[in-house]
Amino acid sequence: MADTTGTGPLGAFFKGMAVTGRQFIATVFGKGLVTTKYPQEMREKPQRFHGRHVLNRYEDGMEKCIGCELCAGACPARCIYVRGADNPDDRPVSPGERYGFVYEINMLRCIFCGLCVEACPTEAITHTRLFEMSTTNRADAIYTKTELLVDEEGRPNHMFETDRLADFDELGEADGWMRATAPQGRAAYEGQVSWSGSAGVGVRPPEAGQSDLPEEAGEGDGEDRA
Amino acid sequence: MSAADRSMVSLTIDGEAVEAPAGDLLIKAAEDNGAYIPRFCWHPRMNPVGMCRMCLVEIETPRGKAIIPSCMQPVNDGMVVHTESAAAKKAQEGVLEFLLLNHPLDCPVCDKGGECPLQDQTMSYGPGESRFVEEKRHFAKPIPISDLVLLDRERCILCARCTRFSDEISGDPLIEFHHRGGDTQVLTFPDEPFTSYFSGNTVQICPVGALTAVPYRFRARPWDLQVAESTGVVHTEGSRLAVHASQNQVLRFLGVDNGATNQGWLSDKERFGFEFIGSPDRLRTPLIREGSGFREAGWGEALDLAGERLRAVIAEQGGGAVAALGGARGTNEDAYALSKFMRTAADSNNLDAQLGDGLEARFLAGLAGRGRIDDLESARTILLWGPDLKETHPILYLRVRRAAQERGASLVIFHPRRTGLDDRAAHKFTYLPGTGPEVLARFAAGEGEFRAAREAMDEGPLAALVGRPGLAEAPRLAESVAAFARRRGGSILPLVHRGNTFGALDMGAAPDLLPGRVTTATDGSAPDLVAAWGDLPVAPGLDALGIAEAAAAGEIGFLILCGSDPVRDMAGFDGGAALSGAGFVLAIDLFLTDSSRRADVVLPALGFAEKKGTVTNLEGRVQMVNRLVPGPGQARADWSVLDDLSARLGRPIGLASEEDITAEIARVAPAYAGVTWDYLEWEAREGAVVPLEGAVQPLRYEPQHADLNGESVGRESGNFSLHLARTMYDDGVMVRHSPSLSRLAPDAAAYMTPAYAASIGLAEGDEVEVPLVAGAVTLPVRFDPTLHEGAVYVPFNQPGMDIRFGVDGPSGGVS
Repeated sequence: MADTTGTGPLGAFFKGMAVTGRQFIATVFGKGLVTTKYPQEMREKPQRFHGRHVLNRYEDGMEKCIGCELCAGACPARCIYVRGADNPDDRPVSPGERYGFVYEINMLRCIFCGLCVEACPTEAITHTRLFEMSTTNRADAIYTKTELLVDEEGRPNHMFETDRLADFDELGEADGWMRATAPQGRAAYEGQVSWSGSAGVGVRPPEAGQSDLPEEAGEGDGEDRA
Repeated sequence: MSAADRSMVSLTIDGEAVEAPAGDLLIKAAEDNGAYIPRFCWHPRMNPVGMCRMCLVEIETPRGKAIIPSCMQPVNDGMVVHTESAAAKKAQEGVLEFLLLNHPLDCPVCDKGGECPLQDQTMSYGPGESRFVEEKRHFAKPIPISDLVLLDRERCILCARCTRFSDEISGDPLIEFHHRGGDTQVLTFPDEPFTSYFSGNTVQICPVGALTAVPYRFRARPWDLQVAESTGVVHTEGSRLAVHASQNQVLRFLGVDNGATNQGWLSDKERFGFEFIGSPDRLRTPLIREGSGFREAGWGEALDLAGERLRAVIAEQGGGAVAALGGARGTNEDAYALSKFMRTAADSNNLDAQLGDGLEARFLAGLAGRGRIDDLESARTILLWGPDLKETHPILYLRVRRAAQERGASLVIFHPRRTGLDDRAAHKFTYLPGTGPEVLARFAAGEGEFRAAREAMDEGPLAALVGRPGLAEAPRLAESVAAFARRRGGSILPLVHRGNTFGALDMGAAPDLLPGRVTTATDGSAPDLVAAWGDLPVAPGLDALGIAEAAAAGEIGFLILCGSDPVRDMAGFDGGAALSGAGFVLAIDLFLTDSSRRADVVLPALGFAEKKGTVTNLEGRVQMVNRLVPGPGQARADWSVLDDLSARLGRPIGLASEEDITAEIARVAPAYAGVTWDYLEWEAREGAVVPLEGAVQPLRYEPQHADLNGESVGRESGNFSLHLARTMYDDGVMVRHSPSLSRLAPDAAAYMTPAYAASIGLAEGDEVEVPLVAGAVTLPVRFDPTLHEGAVYVPFNQPGMDIRFGVDGPSGGVS
């Protein structure tokens, strides 16, 4: 039994068990643990995580959505239903003529691709990193403006109000997918604030750091396109 | 003049040798030969103006290459054109960059976004980036220029399509360029809104979102619309239109260019009347009378009740006690079902699609010398003796205006007051209602002031549009005018009111007609019809007025209202008395109207865009109507209701589907032989004018000059002559349930000339009592100096008018 490095059947067995043993020890006593104790603990999610959507507001509380239906048109799963209406003169809901009168997303159909976020001309719809959306009936999976629209402080209306795991503060960070897909995400816009301010978030910090990337450096002259 | 009549010229477009008819504009010749040149201001149905410069192309001239707008350049022999050369591209890019200087790019909130020529052509032909960094021009947005149209001047690119349409096509130049120069903008004149009956067309042809329609504002985006092409049934011209719906809600109609009929235009009533389809007031379930109200019921119970009563009436009083009114608002299939139901199941000839306000049924169905709308294009003279086309036949109005204005026809009009076409008339005669026969006799003889107009009748091809100028006018007068025109070889276009009247009459919805323009089946002219229908009732039937009188006298045991509203829509009779006198009233309707409200059983019907079938226009042109949305609640098509009812009588009419009915019509109705869905959808691009080649039309009715001295009521001393006429917007069912249109109806009033009012001691604003058949009606006096002296004009069926209003002749006394 001394030959543990041989090529016989037993040798291979012990070779494999050695790997298992090392992983076991590393997991129990070291830092190799890959699972978390969900729902007691929440893993930190990546910046570009595609969670449930929110409809944002401007800093003055006006809704960003103008009801243009571009999100619905871009949606490959056809899960968004939008209807626009005239802004009332005395109490406008959004800047301009039109606002989103009806806004519904069927979360059972949504594939969280983010094309709606990409299509939105006013940064009204963005992803959050909230992902707990289980319901006990199908009707509850259709999120209406009540669920989607953030409150005056910019906090999303989460179905589980007492959810101690939902980190509402992480919404203050810029949405990674927006940054990745919008033209402003290009290195040429480094140092410029290109996002409109949002309720609860304020004006997001300017784009930074991308000029370090060698393949992006020196591409175009951003000043002309501002 | 068709392309074949013109000589062809040869030219080279993008290196390809092509031929085009001489006189064609380069932009059209290029498009016909596969080279699309971008454009904003050029429209194939309007004169070119060269405003937008988008269609710049490069041509080779003896002095070298030149950039020219292809919409202003007729083709020449040997012309060499480059539409995609570097120079042409650069010119087009420059024009687009220039057009976008002040364009706000608020595409996400713009109703045109997604179907906008400016968006599309910027993507296809634009430079990609703008060098313009300055502040754009700003205007208040949007401003309402009428009750139906909004104007956003920021988006306008000054192509002049709307102003040219209003000026050249519709003849109400109510919008024009103001503040010429750097601030040029389209505007209405002060205190004069854009109250055109055709304003919706400017919205459709606007190549940007500068003009938008109030009823469609923010209702949908182009990418969530479903579309079906259909045929309008509001007017008798058979306008081709596209129905657009989203989420099963009809949201708009757009005109479709059928060269033979509407040429792309629609009246606002047709275009914005879509609103009634989705009205919350639509009937959703069958209703059965209970005391003074109704209770909702199932189809089975309602049909059982109606069937039981009908069976009893037929058994006790015979088929002569059964009558039906209506059919002119639905499809030919529904009218055929009604006709077959009445003849074979109810054993009665008492049915009429016209409510006493039209012309002789035989005249309309079998008219010899019936013309086509296209005859107006080649006519030298147009005789119009009928209603004001602008109010009742808007598409014919546009076509006649075009004929007089662009094609140089001389227009002769007889009418009791001003009409929309007076400004284009070579001769206009205002006559006193009731004196029509005398005026016609003097005109035919060419006496006095009629001499020049009479001579015009013999100048060349004559087209005559004949109808009743007012509802109080004798119907035979129109036939006399037709007979006069017919003797000069004129082609006749008959004018009646309800959209599918011609289809309904062709399906036999008249006491003396059978499907396929047949008068009696016993003369052997329709053997297939006899074979399919079996024994037909022999007793002569009653027309609408006869039915109403018989019902009021208690002789009608069972009255069917098939989408008709005699209480409001029947001039010359107190419809309410007929409904109270009838033993049992069955209404098949879209809404609870003033008539169906008095029925014993009300059944919900499918309406426009909810059923498929065919309709026939005033030329006899058959076109398809299409289904796009489901009906409300439990509503069903008329034909299937009648089919079920006939089964309850034990005499089933055996109709299975809309397509089967059309096929049955094509089989049994002689004049409709060969008109099937396949033929209409695949062969007849502009509709099929019946009878098709090879088909026989048994009834040929030669219009007769009628001696009207007995019928025409002359003016008695101290009395007035009444001119009772329909207006575009009234208090009819469709307008009333279309919120955008219902507020456009003029108020009820009695119009008279100031001199006549003074002679009977009235001033403007006074109340006058006008005595009529069903009692007097009190109306405020208004002045209309265009009326003939001594005439009183009352617009028919206006909001605020007594609903029992009716007249029997053109005279009455003022008290």
